[in-house]
Amino acid sequence: MRLDISYRTKFAFDAPVRESQNELRACPVSDERQQLLDYRVSVEPSARMLSFTDYWGTRVDHFGVTESHAGLEVIAEASVETQDPPAHSAAPAMESLGDREFLNTHDEFLKPTRHTDWDEAMAQKALEVAAADGSDVVSAITGLNEFVGGRLAYEPGATEIGEPITEILAKGAGVCQDYAHLAVALCRSIGVPARYVSGYLFSSNERTGSVDGDLVRVQTHAWFEAAVPGGGWLALDPTNRLAVGRQHVKIGHGRDYDDVPPLRGVYSGPGIPELDASVEIRRMDPSRQPSSLMRPSLLAAVKAPRTREQQQQQQQ
Amino acid sequence: MSASPGFFDEAVDDQGRIRDHYRPVQEWFDRLSLEQVKALEEQRNESFRRQGITFTVYGGDEGTERTWPMDLFPRVIDAEEWATLERGLIQRVTALNRFLDDIYAGEQAILHDGIVPRRLITSCTGFERDAMNVAVPLGARCLVAGIDLVRDADGGYRVLEDNLRNPSGISYVIENRAAMTKLLPAAFSDLAVRSVDHYGRSLLRALRSIAPPACGDDPTVAVLTPGIFNSAYFEHAFLARSMGVELVEGRDLVVDDHVVAMRTTRGLERVDVIYRRIDDHFLDPVVFNAQSTLGVPGLMAAARAGTVSIANSVGNGVGDDKAVYAYVPDMIRYYLGEEPIIPNADTYLLWEEEQRAEVLERLDQLVVKPVAESGGYGIVIGPQATDAELAEARDKILDDPRNWIAQEVVNLSRLPAWAGDSFAPRHIDLRPFVLCGEQVEVIPGGLTRVALREGSLIVNSSQGGGSKDTWVLGNSEQPASGVQR
Repeated sequence: MRLDISYRTKFAFDAPVRESQNELRACPVSDERQQLLDYRVSVEPSARMLSFTDYWGTRVDHFGVTESHAGLEVIAEASVETQDPPAHSAAPAMESLGDREFLNTHDEFLKPTRHTDWDEAMAQKALEVAAADGSDVVSAITGLNEFVGGRLAYEPGATEIGEPITEILAKGAGVCQDYAHLAVALCRSIGVPARYVSGYLFSSNERTGSVDGDLVRVQTHAWFEAAVPGGGWLALDPTNRLAVGRQHVKIGHGRDYDDVPPLRGVYSGPGIPELDASVEIRRMDPSRQPSSLMRPSLLAAVKAPRTREQQQQQQQ
Repeated sequence: MSASPGFFDEAVDDQGRIRDHYRPVQEWFDRLSLEQVKALEEQRNESFRRQGITFTVYGGDEGTERTWPMDLFPRVIDAEEWATLERGLIQRVTALNRFLDDIYAGEQAILHDGIVPRRLITSCTGFERDAMNVAVPLGARCLVAGIDLVRDADGGYRVLEDNLRNPSGISYVIENRAAMTKLLPAAFSDLAVRSVDHYGRSLLRALRSIAPPACGDDPTVAVLTPGIFNSAYFEHAFLARSMGVELVEGRDLVVDDHVVAMRTTRGLERVDVIYRRIDDHFLDPVVFNAQSTLGVPGLMAAARAGTVSIANSVGNGVGDDKAVYAYVPDMIRYYLGEEPIIPNADTYLLWEEEQRAEVLERLDQLVVKPVAESGGYGIVIGPQATDAELAEARDKILDDPRNWIAQEVVNLSRLPAWAGDSFAPRHIDLRPFVLCGEQVEVIPGGLTRVALREGSLIVNSSQGGGSKDTWVLGNSEQPASGVQR
């Protein structure tokens, strides 16, 4: 599917700031599932860009504005061709997670981080969920994805960035970042390496993944990937309980949100910023339909009743 | 004074005879009366106090400022012994630089080849992913290294730890020498002691050698300090002065279009090389601690753009993590194809199950250290620890085995130090300083630290240690520092 993405963030300061230094992570990555065709960044006030690929493989655009400014606008435009991922055939047993070389290469995706710091009760819950869905790694991951999707209610504004994952779980509500962090924490707690993914979702409803028309106005999205011994990374989207498919555009991954924030930076001066961020995605080949929302191999896992979701849709 | 079993005595052999290279010093001190020594001590204290040569002990409610404790009896290293140490230090720091450059700017060949496990690096608190692929001219990531050496019961030198981030203490080496030449000029008269006061010139030369190639042949260097409340501020000011360069704080620097400039009375002036004495995490709030006001926003991007060089490089903590230290002999073999000249102290990695089990059984006989600390903080010395301390150490190890190593107790060698009314043997170590620019250079001697309390093995000044002037004897080809300065 060919998607054209326009990411836009606008800061308005209530008093001019002297200087700001920023890093933008908004560029879709090229991997086996998607190919970046074009990417442009523009900033107002204008600034020189330093572009590089970071440790995680994500493109970063760094810019500083050293003249006094009361506003800052960043626009990133990307064209990308996406595909569904190849089918996952491997379903190794849980014991395979203990392989020494597997542990050696996945260590950084097994540790708690600021946003994924689980407690004993969470680890216990994750064990139960994994055991209920069979004894192989893929079933454990899809089971946890389902669990997270059903456990949290989608509620913008319910949480703040930096809130401990244990509190988010207790609240039972959150947005896509919280779903992704919770899934990552649960996977790690039972020894499944998992990473947080930042990206875009071509969908008019983040919660359901449904598509209405060829142009959607959204926010950046987040999901997660879990490592399957001998089978690479399995990408799942707990917010809408989907397997990641061609309507997902990945920017990059990291241990948690802090490794792939769309925009981070510092400014100096008394001004307090008001932030306006938006993403527009346009489907450029409308004759082609998005992939079916569930892949066959995951059908069994995605069988929970949808009543609650539908009620939420009606409210919107 | 006689040799005692279990410790190597620097100045006397096992027959109780004064070793040749200590004879002139020993004879000189033997001629001093009690009153003369006390007068010298008074003179020394007054001189350090007047010059403000102090250090700060952190902990408790606030830092405590103390006068620098230098013992009068110098350490002496003969020319041949030093030549071996010098080769060993150059070898070690060369391999460590190769390793750091391999990890951050290379192919990570040592990980791919399975010499060092990848997870050892990815689990390292000093591994800075934000420094990935930031190139450093000459690969001189560790421009200043301080390598801590001890001598075991047989007198063999061992590396106890590497300091590759912000090693401090060189200013005390130079001030100790200055004080000694004033206090005891006659003690130098029969010996050719190699000079240390060229350090500022050597450091400046090394720093200029890593300047970005585009900045021409007269690069501007600055020393970046956290500020006057830092325990080593005295040293930061000392080094800026001895190099003749600006001492700046973060707020004095600004990054514009990925170029660093400093605010001066003449306006903005471009900076090409920064010798920073600020920890990685405070260096740039854009990528590290966003709350840091000590650093310079945008500095990492400027380094990445190649318009400025930062020494020591960001992320060197991956090279002096104490669990990584255990692999340095393998690094020397891997990168240089040589056998290590100075061996490590015997070390156990506590995340390895078998080694951990062995250590937990012998905890009361071993030294346990946290992997990422320095300055002696967090160390538990088994033979001197209480049962409660040992139990606490055990819990900490089991809670996070990656964060701890254990070492056999090294019976640090001894040398006489003034103990109030006479000279008595006290334990010492040695921190030589190694500079890497176009060449690798070792400053003759280094900082000898001494545990001033009887029987103590803790030499850190933060833990009640003192220091000694360290004399490397010259041979006929080497320049020596004279009595007069």
